Amino acid sequence: MIVAEQKPLNEIKTMIADAERVLLVGCGTCVTVCFAGGTKEVDLLATSLRMSTKLDGNGKVVDEFTVQRQCEWEYNEPLKEKLDDYDLVVSLGCGVGVQTLNEQFPQKQFVPGLNTAFMGLPTEQGVWEERCAACGNCILDKTGGICPIARCAKQLLNGPCGGSQNGVCEIESDVPCAWQLIWERANDLGQIDRLMELQPAKDWRTSRDGGPRKIVREDLRLVAHEEE
Amino acid sequence: MSQNGDKLQIIAFCCHYCAYAAADLAGGMRLKYPPSIKVIELPCSGKINPVQVLKAFEQGADGVMVAG
Repeated sequence: MIVAEQKPLNEIKTMIADAERVLLVGCGTCVTVCFAGGTKEVDLLATSLRMSTKLDGNGKVVDEFTVQRQCEWEYNEPLKEKLDDYDLVVSLGCGVGVQTLNEQFPQKQFVPGLNTAFMGLPTEQGVWEERCAACGNCILDKTGGICPIARCAKQLLNGPCGGSQNGVCEIESDVPCAWQLIWERANDLGQIDRLMELQPAKDWRTSRDGGPRKIVREDLRLVAHEEE
Repeated sequence: MSQNGDKLQIIAFCCHYCAYAAADLAGGMRLKYPPSIKVIELPCSGKINPVQVLKAFEQGADGVMVAG
Protein backbone atom coordinates (compact mmCIF):
# COMPACT_ATOMS: atom_id res chain seq x y z
CA MET A 1 0.00 0.00 0.00
CA ILE A 2 0.93 3.65 -0.23
CA VAL A 3 1.80 4.84 3.27
CA ALA A 4 1.23 8.43 4.32
CA GLU A 5 0.91 10.49 7.46
CA GLN A 6 -1.04 13.60 8.25
CA LYS A 7 0.66 16.97 8.08
CA PRO A 8 0.88 18.95 11.33
CA LEU A 9 -2.33 20.83 12.13
CA ASN A 10 -0.60 24.23 11.99
CA GLU A 11 0.72 23.54 8.48
CA ILE A 12 -2.79 22.68 7.31
CA LYS A 13 -4.15 25.79 9.04
CA THR A 14 -1.62 27.92 7.15
CA MET A 15 -2.73 26.38 3.85
CA ILE A 16 -6.40 27.16 4.51
CA ALA A 17 -5.78 30.58 6.08
CA ASP A 18 -7.34 32.57 3.21
CA ALA A 19 -10.38 30.33 2.78
CA GLU A 20 -13.69 30.71 4.60
CA ARG A 21 -15.28 27.47 3.47
CA VAL A 22 -13.12 24.37 3.32
CA LEU A 23 -13.90 20.83 2.22
CA LEU A 24 -11.79 17.91 3.43
CA VAL A 25 -11.77 14.96 1.05
CA GLY A 26 -10.61 11.59 2.30
CA CYS A 27 -9.68 8.51 0.31
CA GLY A 28 -11.04 5.04 1.09
CA THR A 29 -8.10 3.03 -0.13
CA CYS A 30 -4.41 3.01 0.95
CA VAL A 31 -4.54 5.99 3.28
CA THR A 32 -7.59 4.56 5.04
CA VAL A 33 -5.79 1.36 5.96
CA CYS A 34 -2.72 3.27 7.16
CA PHE A 35 -4.98 5.48 9.31
CA ALA A 36 -3.94 8.73 7.64
CA GLY A 37 -6.77 9.91 5.38
CA GLY A 38 -9.90 7.78 5.70
CA THR A 39 -13.36 8.79 6.89
CA LYS A 40 -12.32 8.67 10.52
CA GLU A 41 -9.23 10.79 10.05
CA VAL A 42 -11.13 13.30 7.92
CA ASP A 43 -13.70 13.55 10.69
CA LEU A 44 -10.99 14.11 13.31
CA LEU A 45 -9.18 16.73 11.26
CA ALA A 46 -12.41 18.57 10.42
CA THR A 47 -13.42 18.78 14.08
CA SER A 48 -9.92 19.89 15.04
CA LEU A 49 -9.85 22.60 12.36
CA ARG A 50 -13.31 23.89 13.23
CA MET A 51 -12.42 24.19 16.90
CA SER A 52 -8.93 25.52 16.35
CA THR A 53 -9.98 28.24 13.90
CA LYS A 54 -12.86 29.20 16.18
CA LEU A 55 -10.48 29.57 19.10
CA ASP A 56 -8.25 31.73 16.87
CA GLY A 57 -11.22 34.02 16.30
CA ASN A 58 -11.77 33.20 12.61
CA GLY A 59 -13.96 30.11 12.68
CA LYS A 60 -14.24 28.42 9.31
CA VAL A 61 -16.79 26.11 7.76
CA VAL A 62 -15.01 22.78 7.43
CA ASP A 63 -17.01 19.95 5.87
CA GLU A 64 -16.08 16.36 5.16
CA PHE A 65 -16.41 13.92 2.31
CA THR A 66 -14.63 10.68 1.49
CA VAL A 67 -14.42 8.98 -1.89
CA GLN A 68 -13.48 5.36 -2.37
CA ARG A 69 -10.41 6.07 -4.50
CA GLN A 70 -9.09 9.54 -5.28
CA CYS A 71 -6.68 8.32 -7.95
CA GLU A 72 -9.39 7.42 -10.47
CA TRP A 73 -11.64 9.94 -12.22
CA GLU A 74 -14.83 7.90 -11.84
CA TYR A 75 -14.71 7.76 -8.08
CA ASN A 76 -14.32 11.52 -7.80
CA GLU A 77 -17.43 12.37 -9.83
CA PRO A 78 -19.70 12.76 -6.74
CA LEU A 79 -17.43 15.63 -5.67
CA LYS A 80 -18.31 17.72 -8.71
CA GLU A 81 -21.60 19.10 -7.41
CA LYS A 82 -20.15 19.95 -3.99
CA LEU A 83 -17.13 21.97 -5.07
CA ASP A 84 -18.93 25.25 -5.77
CA ASP A 85 -19.75 25.56 -2.08
CA TYR A 86 -16.11 25.77 -1.04
CA ASP A 87 -13.17 28.14 -1.43
CA LEU A 88 -10.54 25.46 -1.02
CA VAL A 89 -10.33 21.67 -0.79
CA VAL A 90 -7.85 19.76 1.37
CA SER A 91 -7.20 16.29 0.01
CA LEU A 92 -6.35 13.60 2.51
CA GLY A 93 -5.36 11.28 -0.29
CA CYS A 94 -1.79 10.46 -1.31
CA GLY A 95 0.10 12.73 -3.70
CA VAL A 96 -1.55 10.93 -6.61
CA GLY A 97 -4.98 11.73 -5.20
CA VAL A 98 -4.20 15.42 -4.77
CA GLN A 99 -2.94 15.68 -8.36
CA THR A 100 -5.85 13.69 -9.77
CA LEU A 101 -8.31 16.10 -8.15
CA ASN A 102 -6.41 19.18 -9.37
CA GLU A 103 -6.36 17.79 -12.93
CA GLN A 104 -9.98 16.68 -12.86
CA PHE A 105 -11.45 19.86 -11.38
CA PRO A 106 -9.12 22.69 -12.52
CA GLN A 107 -11.62 25.37 -11.42
CA LYS A 108 -10.84 24.51 -7.80
CA GLN A 109 -7.63 24.31 -5.83
CA PHE A 110 -6.79 21.16 -3.90
CA VAL A 111 -4.00 21.19 -1.30
CA PRO A 112 -2.40 18.21 0.45
CA GLY A 113 -3.33 17.30 4.01
CA LEU A 114 -0.91 14.36 4.05
CA ASN A 115 2.74 13.71 3.45
CA THR A 116 3.00 10.66 1.22
CA ALA A 117 5.87 8.59 2.52
CA PHE A 118 6.47 5.29 0.72
CA MET A 119 5.13 1.96 -0.50
CA GLY A 120 5.21 -0.55 2.28
CA LEU A 121 3.37 -2.74 4.70
CA PRO A 122 2.37 -2.77 8.36
CA THR A 123 4.87 -5.01 10.16
CA GLU A 124 2.91 -4.67 13.39
CA GLN A 125 -0.04 -2.61 14.57
CA GLY A 126 0.99 1.03 14.13
CA VAL A 127 4.29 0.35 12.35
CA TRP A 128 4.78 0.60 8.58
CA GLU A 129 7.99 -0.21 6.71
CA GLU A 130 9.09 0.50 3.17
CA ARG A 131 9.31 -2.51 0.88
CA CYS A 132 9.23 -1.30 -2.73
CA ALA A 133 10.92 1.66 -4.41
CA ALA A 134 9.11 1.18 -7.76
CA CYS A 135 12.41 1.00 -9.64
CA GLY A 136 10.59 -0.43 -12.65
CA ASN A 137 12.85 -3.47 -13.04
CA CYS A 138 12.17 -6.03 -10.34
CA ILE A 139 15.04 -8.20 -9.14
CA LEU A 140 13.29 -9.96 -6.25
CA ASP A 141 13.84 -13.31 -8.00
CA LYS A 142 17.59 -12.84 -7.55
CA THR A 143 17.46 -11.71 -3.92
CA GLY A 144 15.13 -14.21 -2.28
CA GLY A 145 12.19 -11.83 -2.30
CA ILE A 146 13.99 -9.15 -0.28
CA CYS A 147 14.54 -5.87 -2.10
CA PRO A 148 17.99 -4.28 -1.78
CA ILE A 149 16.76 -1.22 -3.67
CA ALA A 150 14.10 -0.37 -1.09
CA ARG A 151 15.76 -1.83 1.98
CA CYS A 152 19.51 -1.28 1.58
CA ALA A 153 20.47 2.32 2.38
CA LYS A 154 23.02 2.24 -0.46
CA GLN A 155 20.88 0.19 -2.86
CA LEU A 156 23.76 -2.24 -3.29
CA LEU A 157 23.38 -5.14 -5.69
CA ASN A 158 26.28 -7.41 -4.79
CA GLY A 159 26.31 -7.92 -1.06
CA PRO A 160 26.60 -5.82 2.08
CA CYS A 161 28.93 -2.89 2.72
CA GLY A 162 31.21 -2.41 5.71
CA GLY A 163 28.42 -0.68 7.59
CA SER A 164 26.67 -3.99 8.15
CA GLN A 165 27.39 -5.08 11.71
CA ASN A 166 25.77 -8.12 13.33
CA GLY A 167 22.98 -8.01 10.81
CA VAL A 168 22.18 -4.34 11.46
CA CYS A 169 22.64 -1.38 9.11
CA GLU A 170 24.86 1.44 10.32
CA ILE A 171 22.21 4.07 9.61
CA GLU A 172 19.96 3.03 12.49
CA SER A 173 20.04 0.32 15.12
CA ASP A 174 16.54 -0.89 14.25
CA VAL A 175 17.20 -1.23 10.52
CA PRO A 176 18.25 -4.72 9.51
CA CYS A 177 20.94 -5.04 6.85
CA ALA A 178 19.03 -6.00 3.70
CA TRP A 179 21.97 -8.05 2.45
CA GLN A 180 22.17 -9.97 5.71
CA LEU A 181 18.48 -10.80 5.25
CA ILE A 182 19.08 -11.74 1.62
CA TRP A 183 21.99 -14.00 2.57
CA GLU A 184 20.01 -15.74 5.33
CA ARG A 185 17.05 -16.21 3.03
CA ALA A 186 19.24 -17.65 0.26
CA ASN A 187 20.83 -19.96 2.83
CA ASP A 188 17.39 -21.17 3.95
CA LEU A 189 16.40 -21.76 0.33
CA GLY A 190 19.69 -23.53 -0.42
CA GLN A 191 20.45 -20.93 -3.07
CA ILE A 192 23.66 -19.31 -1.82
CA ASP A 193 25.33 -20.16 -5.11
CA ARG A 194 22.92 -17.84 -6.94
CA LEU A 195 24.23 -14.87 -4.94
CA MET A 196 27.70 -15.54 -6.32
CA GLU A 197 26.56 -14.41 -9.73
CA LEU A 198 27.81 -10.86 -10.20
CA GLN A 199 25.08 -8.29 -10.83
CA PRO A 200 26.03 -5.57 -13.32
CA ALA A 201 25.25 -1.93 -12.63
CA LYS A 202 21.49 -1.48 -12.60
CA ASP A 203 19.75 0.19 -15.48
CA TRP A 204 18.06 3.06 -13.69
CA ARG A 205 16.26 4.36 -16.75
CA THR A 206 13.14 2.48 -15.65
CA SER A 207 13.30 4.27 -12.32
CA ARG A 208 13.04 7.99 -11.68
CA ASP A 209 16.28 8.62 -13.60
CA GLY A 210 14.32 8.28 -16.82
CA GLY A 211 11.92 11.05 -15.82
CA PRO A 212 8.19 10.64 -15.16
CA ARG A 213 7.08 7.14 -16.08
CA LYS A 214 4.13 5.96 -18.08
CA ILE A 215 2.67 2.60 -19.04
CA VAL A 216 0.54 2.28 -22.17
CA ARG A 217 -1.47 -0.91 -22.75
CA GLU A 218 -2.77 -0.74 -26.28
CA ASP A 219 -4.96 -3.81 -25.68
CA LEU A 220 -6.85 -1.89 -23.01
CA ARG A 221 -7.08 1.51 -24.62
CA LEU A 222 -10.55 2.44 -25.87
CA VAL A 223 -9.18 5.09 -28.25
CA ALA A 224 -6.85 2.60 -29.94
CA HIS A 225 -9.74 0.23 -30.67
CA GLU A 226 -11.89 3.00 -32.08
CA GLU A 227 -9.11 4.01 -34.47
CA GLU A 228 -8.80 0.47 -35.92
CA MET B 1 -17.11 28.06 29.17
CA SER B 2 -19.24 28.11 32.30
CA GLN B 3 -17.73 29.64 35.42
CA ASN B 4 -20.11 28.05 37.90
CA GLY B 5 -19.10 24.46 38.76
CA ASP B 6 -22.73 23.30 38.83
CA LYS B 7 -23.29 24.57 35.32
CA LEU B 8 -20.31 22.87 33.76
CA GLN B 9 -21.53 20.70 30.93
CA ILE B 10 -19.94 17.28 31.34
CA ILE B 11 -20.48 14.48 28.87
CA ALA B 12 -19.99 11.06 30.43
CA PHE B 13 -19.54 8.15 28.04
CA CYS B 14 -20.32 5.12 30.19
CA CYS B 15 -19.88 1.41 29.58
CA HIS B 16 -23.15 -0.52 29.73
CA TYR B 17 -21.66 -3.20 31.94
CA CYS B 18 -20.01 -1.17 34.71
CA ALA B 19 -20.04 2.65 34.78
CA TYR B 20 -23.55 2.98 33.37
CA ALA B 21 -24.81 0.34 35.81
CA ALA B 22 -23.06 2.27 38.60
CA ALA B 23 -24.81 5.49 37.54
CA ASP B 24 -28.07 3.57 37.55
CA LEU B 25 -27.34 2.28 41.04
CA ALA B 26 -26.51 5.82 42.19
CA GLY B 27 -29.96 6.83 40.97
CA GLY B 28 -31.55 3.87 42.77
CA MET B 29 -29.78 4.96 45.98
CA ARG B 30 -31.06 8.54 45.51
CA LEU B 31 -27.50 9.87 45.31
CA LYS B 32 -27.45 13.27 43.64
CA TYR B 33 -25.17 14.64 40.95
CA PRO B 34 -25.56 17.84 38.91
CA PRO B 35 -28.08 17.63 36.04
CA SER B 36 -25.45 19.20 33.77
CA ILE B 37 -23.72 15.82 33.65
CA LYS B 38 -25.06 14.05 30.60
CA VAL B 39 -24.60 10.29 30.59
CA ILE B 40 -24.30 8.50 27.25
CA GLU B 41 -24.47 4.74 27.42
CA LEU B 42 -22.09 2.75 25.26
CA PRO B 43 -22.08 -1.01 24.73
CA CYS B 44 -18.43 -0.85 25.84
CA SER B 45 -16.13 2.09 26.65
CA GLY B 46 -13.79 0.61 24.02
CA LYS B 47 -16.36 1.90 21.51
CA ILE B 48 -15.31 5.49 22.14
CA ASN B 49 -13.03 7.09 19.61
CA PRO B 50 -11.31 10.47 19.61
CA VAL B 51 -13.83 11.96 17.17
CA GLN B 52 -16.66 11.54 19.67
CA VAL B 53 -14.62 13.24 22.39
CA LEU B 54 -13.65 16.13 20.10
CA LYS B 55 -17.22 16.56 18.85
CA ALA B 56 -18.48 16.76 22.42
CA PHE B 57 -16.06 19.62 23.06
CA GLU B 58 -16.93 21.22 19.73
CA GLN B 59 -20.60 21.24 20.65
CA GLY B 60 -19.94 23.01 23.92
CA ALA B 61 -19.01 20.44 26.54
CA ASP B 62 -16.70 21.72 29.27
CA GLY B 63 -15.43 18.24 30.04
CA VAL B 64 -15.68 14.70 28.76
CA MET B 65 -15.50 11.63 30.95
CA VAL B 66 -15.01 8.11 29.61
CA ALA B 67 -15.93 5.61 32.29
CA GLY B 68 -15.68 1.87 31.96
